[in-house]
Amino acid sequence: MQRAIERRGIPTVSVTVARDVTERAKPPRALFVPFMMGHHFGVPFHRALQRRVLTAALERLELAERSGEIATLPVTWAEARRQGDAIERELGLKR
Amino acid sequence: MTDAFETAKQLRPGLWETVNERYPGSMITKVDLVPLAPLRKPLSQTRLTFVSSAGVQPRDSLPFDVVHPVGDFTFRRVPSSSTPADLEIHQIKYPTAGAARDLNVIFPVDRLSELAEDGTIGGLTPNFFSFIGYTIDPAGFERTLAEALADAVAAEGAEAVLLCPA
Repeated sequence: MQRAIERRGIPTVSVTVARDVTERAKPPRALFVPFMMGHHFGVPFHRALQRRVLTAALERLELAERSGEIATLPVTWAEARRQGDAIERELGLKR
Repeated sequence: MTDAFETAKQLRPGLWETVNERYPGSMITKVDLVPLAPLRKPLSQTRLTFVSSAGVQPRDSLPFDVVHPVGDFTFRRVPSSSTPADLEIHQIKYPTAGAARDLNVIFPVDRLSELAEDGTIGGLTPNFFSFIGYTIDPAGFERTLAEALADAVAAEGAEAVLLCPA
């Protein structure tokens, strides 16, 4: 899908949680985040993290030099969940 | 286990092999690279669209066929002005625990609107695009849905595309 769009002259970037799948599918640009499937942009209500994943992915449109490059966001799922839990406690969604 | 190691490692290793074992022939392997199309303007002037394989769709649109044995090769347009309350997920191949509470973890419609409002990006196309990624016929998928959706993305006036393969 991504390759078909790029072939039309439109630059593309994807966010992936499966580096091995992305290495084989060879999209033009990708950002890997080590998060749970279905949680590419982080955890619920963690707006700063969701935004960080988005902006890091979009930066690849300006910074990527070679097709097939996979950048990695230096985050961990464990830390994302800890932060998400703290945010939910602050919001009164979790005790 | 250090954080650096956790950072480099995917949460569920060996996904390609696992999925290809469950659904033989379903996973894509390419050997060639597609030349990079240049970003023609700064991001702050670039109109972005979002393409998702997470099965997110407007509540009043035709539900994706989540039990089709080969795969549902149709796509939906999702207005970029949608709020999470306007949307629902029709897909059964990934965990939706987070998305059920905050759709932005898989379909960040609120965050994308904020990036457009604060000028980080030049704007959003009127519609985003959504499909379900599962198929056991990746060649057929590429010939039909991928080409049709790529045409639709170009016709929408997208100048850059963010994709989220769920």
